[in-house]
Amino acid sequence: MSIPLDSGTAKKMSAFHCANQCTWCDGCGDYGIWTAVKRSLSELNIPPHGVLLCYDVGCHGNTSDKILGYRFHGLHGRVIPFAAGAKLANPKVPVIAFGGDGASFSEGVGHLVHGIRSNYPITFVLHNNGNYGLTTGQASSLTQQGQPMNTSPNGMPEHTLNSMDFVFSLEPTFVARAWSGDIAMMTRVLKAAIGHRGFAFVDILQACPTYNHFATHEMLLERCYDVNAEGYKPDDAVKARALALDTGKRIACGVLFQREDLPSFYERLEPRKNCKTTAVEEVQIVDTSEWGREFV
Amino acid sequence: MTRISLKVTGAQGQGVNSVGEMCAKGLKRIGYCVFGYREYMSLIKGGHSSYQLDISSEWIESTETEVDMLVCFNHHGLERNACEVKKGGIILHQTPQWKFSKEQQKFLDDRGVRTVYLPSEDVLKKLKAKPILGNVLVTSVVWALLGRKAEELQELVQEQFGHKGEKVIEMNFKCIEEGFAFLETIDPSTSLPTGQAGSGGKLKMENCLLLPKPNADWKNHLLITGSEAMGLGLIHAGCRMYCGYPMTPSSPLLSYIAGMQNKTGMIIKQAEDEITAAQMMSGAMHMGTRAATGTSGGGFDLMTETPSVFILAQRPGPATGLPTWTAQGDLLLAIGSSHGEFARCVMAVADAQDCFDLMPEAFNIAERYQTPVIVMTDKQIAEALFTQAPYDQKKAKVDRGLLITNPKELKKLKSTDRYDPDAKDGISPRWLPGAEAATYCAQGDEHSPDGSVDETAKNAVEQMEKRMKKMKAIERETPEPMLWRVQNGKCKEEKADVELDLLVVSWGSNKGVILDTLKGHKGQGPKTGYLHYTYMWPMKTERLKKLMAKAKRTVLVECNHSGQLGMVIQMAGGPAITEKILKYDGRPFFVDELLSKLS
Repeated sequence: MSIPLDSGTAKKMSAFHCANQCTWCDGCGDYGIWTAVKRSLSELNIPPHGVLLCYDVGCHGNTSDKILGYRFHGLHGRVIPFAAGAKLANPKVPVIAFGGDGASFSEGVGHLVHGIRSNYPITFVLHNNGNYGLTTGQASSLTQQGQPMNTSPNGMPEHTLNSMDFVFSLEPTFVARAWSGDIAMMTRVLKAAIGHRGFAFVDILQACPTYNHFATHEMLLERCYDVNAEGYKPDDAVKARALALDTGKRIACGVLFQREDLPSFYERLEPRKNCKTTAVEEVQIVDTSEWGREFV
Repeated sequence: MTRISLKVTGAQGQGVNSVGEMCAKGLKRIGYCVFGYREYMSLIKGGHSSYQLDISSEWIESTETEVDMLVCFNHHGLERNACEVKKGGIILHQTPQWKFSKEQQKFLDDRGVRTVYLPSEDVLKKLKAKPILGNVLVTSVVWALLGRKAEELQELVQEQFGHKGEKVIEMNFKCIEEGFAFLETIDPSTSLPTGQAGSGGKLKMENCLLLPKPNADWKNHLLITGSEAMGLGLIHAGCRMYCGYPMTPSSPLLSYIAGMQNKTGMIIKQAEDEITAAQMMSGAMHMGTRAATGTSGGGFDLMTETPSVFILAQRPGPATGLPTWTAQGDLLLAIGSSHGEFARCVMAVADAQDCFDLMPEAFNIAERYQTPVIVMTDKQIAEALFTQAPYDQKKAKVDRGLLITNPKELKKLKSTDRYDPDAKDGISPRWLPGAEAATYCAQGDEHSPDGSVDETAKNAVEQMEKRMKKMKAIERETPEPMLWRVQNGKCKEEKADVELDLLVVSWGSNKGVILDTLKGHKGQGPKTGYLHYTYMWPMKTERLKKLMAKAKRTVLVECNHSGQLGMVIQMAGGPAITEKILKYDGRPFFVDELLSKLS
């Protein structure tokens, strides 16, 4: 796989370089995702001070001090509402939220539902490695049923949540999939997601060499393919859903679905229409005498 | 002090609130201080609810257990509340063929209570008026019984319903005329001695409830609930985003501020749960605007030193408890709820004045110290109706602390300035995402000065001490509790640590009723005082110590079972207050009740 860089990208990418050493396991998918995030921001000409990166808790959350940019590393499962609040306060700054499958499909699944439903203008990157890695390999709701894991030595008894079917049932406006071994693909998908009008859901299938022995780097390498390169157009939700669910032989990656005709949550806020300033710029003492008179 | 009270009772949805609110507004406009108190159940229609107005020409902010006039929309009020009517009082009801039990009738006769039956349904049928107009009809009879003029009510109706068109107004006016006419043609067999019955004359003044002489000062005052006052206060403070999840008693604030959004341009979000609301607020504050959330529980964002403002509206627990009633049981929750330790400021509002004034203060403290501020209120404040002087719009200033926005200064910043452990008072410079400057990580893990994860013992100690230093600074800045004295019927702040016969110590919504009680407190002589806590944490006890050492008797008054303020005072090294008056039945203290307990 070749990763063509234009002459300026490497220099721009180095602006995101952070001196802290990475602490992930050898072969962890986070290395690839970390690189792709830096590269996509660089190719979009977004400098470190021009973005807010919000991290959930988990192995991916350890990216928070391995990259420059304004970052927030918050509470487990709660990254989406934090990122949404930040974005609504200042829509001029791109906001990207990162969360694992453990956080996003168990503890914080409600936030994912309402994030998609609200169509907040943010990007959400799912680090999907099929388990709770940082807490040493427990089953998540996306782990394969029957798979023996840390707290389920006899195999996970619950059935696996079909994440893509679930996400499509929420009528998303942007769904993409990539995998952690393909930096060029992740870059392309992330750039499209950051440019999306509303809530962009990016599912990144991520290798976890330590605990995930069922969806390995090799397996993903073999099965994942660039569906857009094969001429697929991401404009039909029914087709996209079927494509996303059909992972038996090949796994379709790329932008699977996108519609730009629906306004984002912010655009739907009546009081913010024709409003040129952001809430961050509006902080001042407001004279309320006029509204107080309604009570006289 | 002369005060009279009026209580409207009925099922929820029957118009109890409409009648209560209309009377309150009308009375205030004439020149009375009105305090409104609502009791209702956690259901939409049915049940038994009440709206009580206590009325005086002097300042009052409390409720009595007994009333001068009782208005009953159905027989439940007659059964349950008739025994609350004072000597010479009036009961106005709408239940056909109603007969009190023998005991009740004797009780009412002994008290000289007069009963008026208003056949609302017949009157409305005759007028071909919709059932909803029953509210105006009842209000007009109340108005007549208060000895007031029909024109005053008509003016109010014109203002409230004028936008609905002439026909609606005409029908409302007819109902008002009919209400006044009804009292003149009343059946002499009822126990109200009309005197003028059938003679076509006017209702005699002696048959009315005598209101005290009005005082024009109240006319320009606001009649406002604590929730509305808090909403105005948030808007005033420059709060640009409010996120909440509906839950009594914090939902009226969410409703009010959401209703104002087209005027204020604020971002309002009814979140999917309380955690979402807290997170969105934190995200927005982190980004640099002013945002708040309100709930009856709440989650606090730890360690990232993101300023945040939480409104904690108390109701009785545990669990769902008494959803629509009041309590002061969450003080220890506000002070103590945390995973690990972090600096915070807890303040408690007492009334509609505080609700407005403390909002800019809450944001200023949150931003100055980059830490959560919890503002406590309760159902009593959230939904009581206060007569409130127009707010001073000039008093508050925005203080954003060490927020750096100047481009030149931004350029000079290093990532490690953000959480610099050597910063004075533990407060390091703060700058916002998007600012052209070195970036940092607002890190939930224990971190080094630039927000990188750092688990070394040395760093852990430095950062913990940095954050906790803020407590000392907040303590230095926040004022001691205020001492209130009642002299010649007026409440005044007392700066000196005077010698007192009776010192009452309390917080929150008890302030109004305690001050009203002290006005009526004769037994202890004039040397009574009330020490009111607004800043609950960090807790200050120096003034209390001095006052208590001199006072003959000190009493703690709280609406909870454990005397939580007393516990917090002792936690902070203050004296133990052994005499306690505690109440935990979901009701606030009533003025006559507290007076008898203090005597």
